[in-house]
Amino acid sequence: MQRAIERRGIPTVSVTVALDVTEHVKPPRAVFVPFMMGHHFGVPFHHDLQRRIILTALDRLTMAERSGDIHALPVTWAQARREGVVIERAMGIRK
Amino acid sequence: MSLHYLKDALAQGDTEALIRYVRLHLGDGNEAQGRKEIDKAWIEALKPLLDVPPTDRAFIHKTLTSKDPATLAHLFFDLHFYLVKQSGEWIHDGNL
Amino acid sequence: MMATSSDTGQLRPGIWTTVNERYPGSMISKPDTVPLATLRKPVAQSRLAFVSTAGVQPKGTLPFDVVHPVGDYSFRRVPSIAEPADLEIHQLKYPTAGANRDLNVIFPIERLRELTDEGMIGALTPDFFSFIGYNMDPERLEQTLAEEIAEAVVAEGAEAALLAAA
Repeated sequence: MQRAIERRGIPTVSVTVALDVTEHVKPPRAVFVPFMMGHHFGVPFHHDLQRRIILTALDRLTMAERSGDIHALPVTWAQARREGVVIERAMGIRK
Repeated sequence: MSLHYLKDALAQGDTEALIRYVRLHLGDGNEAQGRKEIDKAWIEALKPLLDVPPTDRAFIHKTLTSKDPATLAHLFFDLHFYLVKQSGEWIHDGNL
Repeated sequence: MMATSSDTGQLRPGIWTTVNERYPGSMISKPDTVPLATLRKPVAQSRLAFVSTAGVQPKGTLPFDVVHPVGDYSFRRVPSIAEPADLEIHQLKYPTAGANRDLNVIFPIERLRELTDEGMIGALTPDFFSFIGYNMDPERLEQTLAEEIAEAVVAEGAEAALLAAA
């Protein structure tokens, strides 16, 4: 998919939680986050994290120097979830 | 299983490979769960019939006699998931 | 720094191997890479497309076929101006706990709009694209669905594309 778009001259970047799958598929550029499947952009209501993942991915469009580039974000799922809990408490939707 | 693998299994009469695939598909990637899900669907199919309410047999007859085999087979898969949902227990959340 | 699966904390290790053991031949493995296309303008001036395998679709459209044993090779257009309340997910086989509370965890449509409004992204394509990741025919996926979406991304005037595979 990503390759098909890239071959048409449009630079692409994907966000992945499955680094091993990405290593097999070898997309042009990828950003890896060690998160739960289905949670590529983090945890609910954590806008900063969601934005950071998008912006990091978009940075790779200019930063990545060779095809197959995989950039790991220095984040952990445990930390993301902890921050998510704090945010939800502040929003009053979690005790 | 890739489609290619499944077609090979069919050509070779490898029914074990075929049913294993069905169980995996219905079990969210877990073969043992898939067996349970098949049983669960049949129990859910039995339940609403025990009080013998009127059902639309004309619709069933028309459907079975007018639709092509592939559509009916597809419906069978749909009915399985419909019945499993009726059970209130949903394992298809990608966590297996 | 280049990441590899052996030295990073993939939350659920061995996905490729596990899936390929369960469904032999369903996983794609490429020996090579494709040449990089060049971004012609900075991201802040480029039109971005978003492509997702999360099975997100506008409410009221024909649900993705999540029951077919061979998968669904169609895609849906999701207007980039759509609100999460107007969208729903039809996809099995990946955890949607977070997405059910905040769609942006897998389909960050609101964040992408904010970043565009703030000028960090030049523009968004009128439509985003969505399909389901469950399919047993990788050749067909590559030869039809991938090509169709790529053509649609071009037709939308995209100058860059962000993808997320659920």
